[in-house]
Amino acid sequence: MARVLRDLLRSNREFGIGIALLAVVVAMAAASALSPYPPNDTYVVPPDIPLSWAYPLGTTSRGQDVFWLLTFAIRNSLAFGVLVALLSRCLSLLIGLTAGYAGGMVDRALMAINDTFIVIPLFPILVLFYFVMRDRMSWVLLALVMAGLGWAYDARLIRSVALGLRTREFTETAIFSGMTARQILLQEHLPYVLPIVFSTTMNNINWSIGLEVTLSVLGFTDINTPTIGVMIYWANQHTALVAGIWWWIAFPVVLVVMTFIGLFLLAVSMNEYIDPRSRLSRFDA
Amino acid sequence: MSILTVSDLRAYYITRAFGIEREVRAVDDVSLSVARNEIYGLAGESSCGKSTLIKTIAAATRPPLRLMSGSVTFDFAGHRIDMHAATSSDIAAIRWRHLSYIMQGSMSVLNPVRRVRHAFIDFAHRHIARPMPEFLDIVRAHLRRLHLALEVLEAYPHELSGGMRQRVTIALATVCRPDFIIADEPTTALDVVVQKDVLAMIRDIQQEIGSSLLFVTHDLAVHANLCDRLGVMYAGRLVEEGPTADLLRSPRHPYTAHLVTSLPRIGDATPRPSLSGAPPNLADPPSGCRFHPRCPLAMDICRREVPTMQTTGTAHRVACFAAQ
Repeated sequence: MARVLRDLLRSNREFGIGIALLAVVVAMAAASALSPYPPNDTYVVPPDIPLSWAYPLGTTSRGQDVFWLLTFAIRNSLAFGVLVALLSRCLSLLIGLTAGYAGGMVDRALMAINDTFIVIPLFPILVLFYFVMRDRMSWVLLALVMAGLGWAYDARLIRSVALGLRTREFTETAIFSGMTARQILLQEHLPYVLPIVFSTTMNNINWSIGLEVTLSVLGFTDINTPTIGVMIYWANQHTALVAGIWWWIAFPVVLVVMTFIGLFLLAVSMNEYIDPRSRLSRFDA
Repeated sequence: MSILTVSDLRAYYITRAFGIEREVRAVDDVSLSVARNEIYGLAGESSCGKSTLIKTIAAATRPPLRLMSGSVTFDFAGHRIDMHAATSSDIAAIRWRHLSYIMQGSMSVLNPVRRVRHAFIDFAHRHIARPMPEFLDIVRAHLRRLHLALEVLEAYPHELSGGMRQRVTIALATVCRPDFIIADEPTTALDVVVQKDVLAMIRDIQQEIGSSLLFVTHDLAVHANLCDRLGVMYAGRLVEEGPTADLLRSPRHPYTAHLVTSLPRIGDATPRPSLSGAPPNLADPPSGCRFHPRCPLAMDICRREVPTMQTTGTAHRVACFAAQ
């Protein structure tokens, strides 16, 4: 593992930059455990103080320390993205591999559902969902809904690969040797599609964090759990930009952009590592 | 004592789309048998039904390919099994253990993202019910016997050359020491030097295990080198069958005769005439003998009636009115 990391760092600049960016982001998220203030307490520090030694990223108009608030916000946003990605990955792998391998009626039925999800406009549904749920709206609930809506593109991608794998000789040999459909999917086809899934996982985290920020900025989520979007929402509520409290908006935006770029670079470089063919062409065995 | 008996086998590809039904008669009325410890070669040009026949023999038929009639019976040391009447668990029990199949295009039998070791574990471990370390010892011993470096186990398929991959595939198919091996064009994609090694390896392992081999290729030179008996297929039918040397020396069927005269000989520069016409469309085969539109000896009866396999000589069978 250490050797793999060293090789990746040495031969792949994208990986190095991606790791560095994500390290900063994750360190911020981890720092939330050390916060002297609970995330939802207001007026614990003097409001509207610009960047200073005592408050390195300034304070908000609600009397919160931007640095410590940001640690909670990025922790929640990251956890949200990872949860959505994991759940939707399970769905898209299950549906994509099954549809591709089974073919015929199973494939048609699953893809009909799949295509429905692809053409459904997500944003209005999520807004509608917020108005239905209102006070019962929570972070985990939103993650579940987003996972339920975000699997369709990748399921189609995985299905297209699985469709090709079905007619490969190694699949026929596997069937001939008596492997069950479940074993073939898990042992033969899953490793084949994993690099694709890995790269789309990063993109899916980006997508879900982005959508969550959009919803939160507009106030369509649980605004009492600090996330990057919720932070910007409160800054807007206090007209931070007009009042000149730019640090309240700038630092969450910078941090979430770092997350996006870091995840993207990691997706690109990990993809090359996971596929043994491109790995070997890059490192000399 | 034959280990494989195929009688009156018919397997058609049946496709139905937009109200049009098409029936491709890829295997029609084929009967043959393979004796224990024998290498049976199956020759014929592309799309003559060779691969379909052996898929049907291995009961690896999937729609649109369907068995229409006839039977395939294996006799593994007293354990008889009718491949198309047996339950799927019965068939699963004999596959790999007793009957193994080297697929066509076996260059891609190995999953490109799995190490070779995993191919052995995935495909063969269930059939050798031993704990994993012991199983891997068996695999290693088998590879050593086939003069393969043990490092191949840790390699990915793309790290191996074509010949190596082919040898690994053969090792994979023979690791359970099966009684019957089906090989579908295992040497077609290889150059002659590697072909020679691979053929020697197949013969060695076949002799060591004492299994029977059904070997399919369009390459008569390979058949001449390897096979005890040879069957020639044309347009989904078996047209001639006999001991390899006898069949190549004195072919009775005009199609076989043409195949044999088309082989180049060192020092002989006379041009080889090609048969006029093309192999028939199996969705709409010619009446009577399927070879008659191209046959130089075609008679009236050939257009009307289908010739049946008749024994001529001791072990030589031919389906031709002109030869009988």
